[in-house]
Amino acid sequence: MQSNAALEYDYTVAKLFTYVTILFGFLGMLVGTILALQLAFPELNYLIGEYGTFSRLRPIHTNTVIFGFTVSGVFATWYYFAQRVLKVSMAESRFLMIMGKVHFWVYFIGALIATITLVFGISAGKEYAQYEWWVDIVIVIIWIMWGVNIFGMIGIRREKALYVSIWYYLACFLGIAMLYLFNNMSIPTYFATEGLGSIHHSVSMYSGTNDALVQWWYGHNAVAFGFTVPIVGMIYYFLPKESGQAIYSYKLSLLSFWGLMFVYLWAGSHHLLWSTVPDWMQTMGSAFSIVLILPSWGSAINMLLTMKGEWNQLAENPLIKFMVIASTFYMLSTIEGPIQAIKSVNAIAHFTDWIPGHVHDGVLGWVVFMIMASLFHMTPRMFKREIYSKKLMGIQFWMQTTAVVLYFTSMWIAGITQGMMWRAVDEYGNLVYSFIDTVTVLHPYYVIRGVSGVLYTAGFILFAFNIYKTITAGRKLTEEPQFRTPMA
Amino acid sequence: MDIQNIQGYGMFFLTIFLTVILYWYILYLYRSEKKGERDFEKYGRIALDDNIDSPLVEDKIASERDNTKEQNK
Amino acid sequence: MFFHWLEKNPFYFALMISVVISFAGLLEIVPNFAQAARPLSTEKPKTVLELAGKNLYVKDNCIACHSQMIRPFKSETDRYGKYSLSGEYAYDRPFLWGSKRTGPDLHRVGNYRTTDWHENHMRDPKAMVPGSIMPAYKHMFTNVADIESAYAEAVTVKNAFFTPYGPEFKRTRAAWEAHRPKVIADAKKIADDMKDEDVKKAVANGEVPEIVAMIAYLNSLK
Repeated sequence: MQSNAALEYDYTVAKLFTYVTILFGFLGMLVGTILALQLAFPELNYLIGEYGTFSRLRPIHTNTVIFGFTVSGVFATWYYFAQRVLKVSMAESRFLMIMGKVHFWVYFIGALIATITLVFGISAGKEYAQYEWWVDIVIVIIWIMWGVNIFGMIGIRREKALYVSIWYYLACFLGIAMLYLFNNMSIPTYFATEGLGSIHHSVSMYSGTNDALVQWWYGHNAVAFGFTVPIVGMIYYFLPKESGQAIYSYKLSLLSFWGLMFVYLWAGSHHLLWSTVPDWMQTMGSAFSIVLILPSWGSAINMLLTMKGEWNQLAENPLIKFMVIASTFYMLSTIEGPIQAIKSVNAIAHFTDWIPGHVHDGVLGWVVFMIMASLFHMTPRMFKREIYSKKLMGIQFWMQTTAVVLYFTSMWIAGITQGMMWRAVDEYGNLVYSFIDTVTVLHPYYVIRGVSGVLYTAGFILFAFNIYKTITAGRKLTEEPQFRTPMA
Repeated sequence: MDIQNIQGYGMFFLTIFLTVILYWYILYLYRSEKKGERDFEKYGRIALDDNIDSPLVEDKIASERDNTKEQNK
Repeated sequence: MFFHWLEKNPFYFALMISVVISFAGLLEIVPNFAQAARPLSTEKPKTVLELAGKNLYVKDNCIACHSQMIRPFKSETDRYGKYSLSGEYAYDRPFLWGSKRTGPDLHRVGNYRTTDWHENHMRDPKAMVPGSIMPAYKHMFTNVADIESAYAEAVTVKNAFFTPYGPEFKRTRAAWEAHRPKVIADAKKIADDMKDEDVKKAVANGEVPEIVAMIAYLNSLK
């Protein structure tokens, strides 16, 4: 391959994935907000008959956010930045280009069909792994297609050194592949008998306590390799590029990488504290969760220190604001998680609203902020247009930050209140509260969370609008901005 | 020895082994940079100079050419 | 140096990542696998009707709000009954411990709730528990449960995992047709305790409304 002056990066696939990231992000948040409001106002359960109950909608919310929004955000950023740090254009390989497009369409149509199966309650029952066996097969195929692109691009790269973001995306690919395969092992009953019953139905290969262990080894690490690893990779590229500052310590980023890889997977059993899995596994999950602070904070501090001496950018550039607050929320949720994993804290926190509270300060504050910031950074470069409105971006930032704060504060209070009420006893050792007392007391917090959901989703609509206007009406750019994203 | 004992010993030695690896890696990172064998921080530039005609930090094609030359010697 | 070489060889690099991340799973899950799969000696596998109910529990995703895991604390054993044991779950595929208690734990709900109570509660939770935020599951009274899939599941776990179902559980359609009246008889026992005339009529016609299978499952949780 000769270097060619006319050669340019090709963002066709990245653009396609950008659109669906926004689409699935909106859908996931919309359903999430409906769920939050249903808990505050149960009448909302009957909007669309049996398909609209809280229980039926919840998997749609979680799966759309994880496999719809986050994963397509990961794909979009991959198809954008991988070319740039490997210094090779998608246009240079016809095979990879075609595969990329096929990858997109199979993913998009697959995701729609998968969502429809959940609407009809075709479910394998495990959290974040509800998809039935044949949907799993489609997902595996989609994942392999991404793998083809990863290794294909690495194969034809010009830059010999793999930038650390590539490490993280590679780990995301391998980690999810391993976890997803093992957790979803099941036997379709239709084929195990002479065609009896539904073709969708399958039965898990693991039972009871084993199933729980495998599931939470998966469940926890799907979070690790979906919500943490690629997002860290994202910030290691987009923050330096946007600010013009190289990573504070590249060595620290490598060290935290291996630390994260090794430690994260042990922590899964902290979801099973006080359950029937052996004690030593619970203790191990607890201990490793605390060790996990080190690599997580290693990355987070590295990101913040990258801005050393450049903090004025925080005031000037809303994109930097998004990324810095994202890494701050990352620090918050990676200290909160280990606290919840301490056995005595977990005795109160487990099964309460503090847990969704924890998940959401991570996802809303860290994952979604980071993906939105990345898309804001990419759009002007992909479409050669200036960001439509800086002011809108500022409004969006404050709306959504307020929403996240409302969300986790209300859920902290709700969770601890409920946890304490469950165990409250009077002077004779009898339980003080019946279960329903501990539900009705949460009403105000559920309302606050509903408001937070509305606010956050409204902010996301502003984001979508801003991107749309940038693509259609932003001022044209004559040349690609080197660092800071231009905005009107 | 029952399984619990084996697990106990296994855990103990694994911990030691991993601690050694961890510190070896840290030492390696800082030592090789101090001795001037490798400069890790230069890789941070990859994200910044990422135009298709930007200078490469390590040229893959050139290094492969070198490798084949060495093999042909 | 090893690390330098590793970083330059994407294939071995990927392999190294895989090795590092598979450690934990191997060490945490594998050693205990056989032991954790052992049932209590008193544990019996679920009947086909109960399995159909379990599948509805999955379909309508009850675990979004209900756990089936009583932790060993006095406040929990007072509220829900004896703490849960690993062997009680040995036939549960998938496990249904749940991770959130928006509603109460259900692991021993069969000990303190009746068919009658469930019937009223599923139709209108607020009528039984004032202030409840649980949605009503009225559609369970009209939808028909998929008992054939439940039978197929029983046969599959019998053949693949040696779950102790009787010799009459076979892969063939004829075996299923022979077993079907048994399921309907079980369903009739539940329906006899219910008030809903349409449900009784449906069972008499050889159909199992979802609510019947659901209640059979909930009653089996002890």
